[in-house]
Amino acid sequence: MTSRKKAARSPAVGRARIPTGSAAIADLEVAAVTRPSMSEREALDRIDLSVDIAPERGLLLPNPILVASGTFGYGVEYGEVVDVQRIGAICCKGTTLRPRAGNQPPRVTETPGGMLNSIGLQNPGVDAVIDKYGPIWQGWKVPVIVNIAGESIEDYVEVARRLDGVPGVAGIELNISCPNVGKGGLQFAIDRDAARAVTAAVRRATELPLLVKLSPNVSDVRPIAKAIEEAGADAICAINTLSGLAVSADRTRAFLGNTYGGLSGPAIKPVALRIVYEVAQVVSIPIVAIGGVTNLDDVLDFLACGAMAVQVGTAIFADPELPVRLGDELRAECLRRGLASYKPLIGTALPKKTGAASAKGAEYRP
Amino acid sequence: MRLVAAELVESREILPGQWIQSFHAPELASGSRAGQFVHVRTGDYSGLVLRRPFSINTADPATGIITLHFRTVGRGTEWMTRVREGERIDMLGPLGRPFEVDPRSHNLLLVAGGLGMAGVRMLVDEAVRAGRGVTILFGALSASHVYPSSLLPDEVEYIVATDDGSLGHRGYVTELVPEYEAWADQAFACGPQAMLKRLAALAAGRRERLGVAKLGRKRGGPTDPLGSAAARRKSFLQVSMEQTMGCAVGACLGCTIIGVDGPQRVCREGPVFAADEVSWEAIP
Repeated sequence: MTSRKKAARSPAVGRARIPTGSAAIADLEVAAVTRPSMSEREALDRIDLSVDIAPERGLLLPNPILVASGTFGYGVEYGEVVDVQRIGAICCKGTTLRPRAGNQPPRVTETPGGMLNSIGLQNPGVDAVIDKYGPIWQGWKVPVIVNIAGESIEDYVEVARRLDGVPGVAGIELNISCPNVGKGGLQFAIDRDAARAVTAAVRRATELPLLVKLSPNVSDVRPIAKAIEEAGADAICAINTLSGLAVSADRTRAFLGNTYGGLSGPAIKPVALRIVYEVAQVVSIPIVAIGGVTNLDDVLDFLACGAMAVQVGTAIFADPELPVRLGDELRAECLRRGLASYKPLIGTALPKKTGAASAKGAEYRP
Repeated sequence: MRLVAAELVESREILPGQWIQSFHAPELASGSRAGQFVHVRTGDYSGLVLRRPFSINTADPATGIITLHFRTVGRGTEWMTRVREGERIDMLGPLGRPFEVDPRSHNLLLVAGGLGMAGVRMLVDEAVRAGRGVTILFGALSASHVYPSSLLPDEVEYIVATDDGSLGHRGYVTELVPEYEAWADQAFACGPQAMLKRLAALAAGRRERLGVAKLGRKRGGPTDPLGSAAARRKSFLQVSMEQTMGCAVGACLGCTIIGVDGPQRVCREGPVFAADEVSWEAIP
């Protein structure tokens, strides 16, 4: 009882009691964790990092650190150097109905604090993905969320239909925001009605947990997020890459074969934080944050802005062990703060009054 | 493939702006083959988010030492020159597929352009150890960019071409190749794409010029699939390709080149390719 009181005095817990509109963060139970008789190892094991990011349909992750689509292939590529089973979930490479060869090289380049990529959704098509990786994923403990993309609503629906019921597929992440393909992709993410239509159509086609990934390349993301929620998405992922450009060394052309690329890495973290912060105030479904996560502070920042889970992307290239390590570090952070779960860390930085969405920050929007 | 903390043992500038660094990394020294590479994490993550790929220049399993040869071209390589002896840097490797030498090949022609020497340097050691004849044709801008012959084994023939004629043949290194194409059983190259493209064109016409009969299985019989180690072993020319790279393990599909069978990942299917796997028309 004494330790419970002690925990309740910690500032993090105090902040966490403010309602933020997300159903799952009602779980604010704080338990005794620092009994002297318990070894630190046991205490760490008792901390609950599990999270259901699709509460209506059930997509239970062992921890809230996912790997972002496009940075981790199909989960097998990093297998020799990373214990993939300890990751919260794997979002696999964007998958389309038919095979795609992707864009002309070069496809990646480093930029200050980030990188540009223009892969162009190279993938063998949904059937090949199911045949080749389905049996592997089925044997895994780590949930695999298949990222899907298409040129038309019919494409998205067909891909989702084929994934429905495939053993080893835990959920779908709807990529309506790929900036690197000519047709499809982005157009669904920049228009509220198109976003609503594609989400609703996929929702009707599958009972799999459905996550929808937002694009930052819009003037106001909030109506789009709201439309996606209304159309039946289980969770919102934010954000995809920002459209960018690099110039060739001789300055005679754009560097990337596709001219434009998507910017990712630490450079985009403030943008991602802003969007998560805004979306968290208008939707009540879980938010999975993506954008420049490289350390525990970044994870805590996104949680504070209302994210229920976090995806690690670009940072994996430099530090393949980071996703697993972040899970461990989050656990240790909970222990240090006397929390039985990381959930009290969610939403602590959001405006204290709920209801009307904040207009703060709008004046800085380009 | 594994993550290794490689300790810098020695660092020296062999040419203006070109460095060879020796690292103590027994796991890499004993587990790698010529043509493979390591992906090096540079410091200051907040600025430099990608690792840098380097060919393994030499590897000595006896001492556990590998060397990397690079030119300072940006912040990553400049950071590397500032690493001090005794410090450890994070390397992922060995990565990619190696050169495949046909066991029946007596004479190997190695063609390198500039930093491309780093791509074939380890093959020199492997070939000399196996008792094969090695000729290196090396091309550079001028004498001040020529790889020092003192860093090569005595057993090899080393022919230099410079664009300005300040050392050796005046002109492109590819102009020296026809003289050796009859002598060589196989050729291996690394360097600028234009050089590799020219070599591929030369290699494609070699059989006809030399009047070599196509030996082996009859037409219609089983053939080794394109890109397999066996098919590469039988090809006359193998090239080590370069591309800007993300993950280096095949996950991000960032480092592709256009092959005759579609996009090929330099980090997984390469960096070594048989010349006939590459779609040279796609290369400027």
